[in-house]
Amino acid sequence: MTQANIIVEDIPATVQGISAKLIRIQGQLDESNVDEKAKIIYQVIEQNPKNLYLLFDFEQLEYMNSKSIGYLTDWYGKIAEGQGKIVIAKPKSNILDILQVVGLTQLINCYQTLDEAKFSLLQDVVEKNNTLAPNVTSSVQQA
Amino acid sequence: MEQEQAKQSTSIGETQPIRITITLPTNAYFISGIRDFTLGLIRNMTEFSEQWAFRFQSVVDELCNNAIEHGSAPGKDIKITFINNPHESIEIIVEDTGTGKVKLSAKELQAIVNERRNPGYVHIGIRGRGLSKIVAEWTDELVFTDLPGGGIQARIKKYLQDPRLKNEMSQYLESPTHLVLQ
Repeated sequence: MTQANIIVEDIPATVQGISAKLIRIQGQLDESNVDEKAKIIYQVIEQNPKNLYLLFDFEQLEYMNSKSIGYLTDWYGKIAEGQGKIVIAKPKSNILDILQVVGLTQLINCYQTLDEAKFSLLQDVVEKNNTLAPNVTSSVQQA
Repeated sequence: MEQEQAKQSTSIGETQPIRITITLPTNAYFISGIRDFTLGLIRNMTEFSEQWAFRFQSVVDELCNNAIEHGSAPGKDIKITFINNPHESIEIIVEDTGTGKVKLSAKELQAIVNERRNPGYVHIGIRGRGLSKIVAEWTDELVFTDLPGGGIQARIKKYLQDPRLKNEMSQYLESPTHLVLQ
């Protein structure tokens, strides 16, 4: 099996009912491991079916095949359905190239730095908070 | 004699096509090795850019996975052939044995790929993007052929210069993959 690691961390966001997670993917996602590794993300989605905000850190992701892209598209669909959002940070040029050729960059925004991606994600959390409770001042902590 | 040998060795790879064939068991475990090999081959033996080295890595991966998943049953093989035509093109051929779980003819497979290449086609499943969105997009020719003993041969070709621009604009093409405006 090709080496790949998925690490899930919480992004502190003091907004009730909203979960924000940083997902670091390292190594190569291919036919030999992607079905197994995808279960980790599905578990996160199952635990947070509504208002889930995921920041994928692709800095150490070296390769992804079409099936990994299929999974990413499926996660996007499920998370968007639950009024959440996905962003991608620091993809290598070959990863960005493949995301572009399949058209996924039209659905999911990619950022060159983790801070930019986090800002975009948390800005949406703030907006969501204002929508959920317009009279309450939002307080979102950046991790 | 020595001069003749030297002449031959310089012409191989510089003017004559180089053909490398690898046979693999039908197991996804071996494909990462083929990806590494592809990257090295494109970088060291062709004039394609680094970006294209990574693109061919994906193209080969998708063709092999398709052959393993659909074309050749466990315990059988797939065959991958690289043909580098110096200063002109690269061809990659992947052959399966036709013993896999999906029995498709080359014509049927081509029809599926053509349908999925349609800009209006909506991909809803996890699978189905490899041949139509990656292999077809990053190659100039993608041809499926039925093999006499059963199985399908998938053959791709990518030219160093876009053949559509060859006649009119070849004087503007300095980089294999980038149009340089002068």
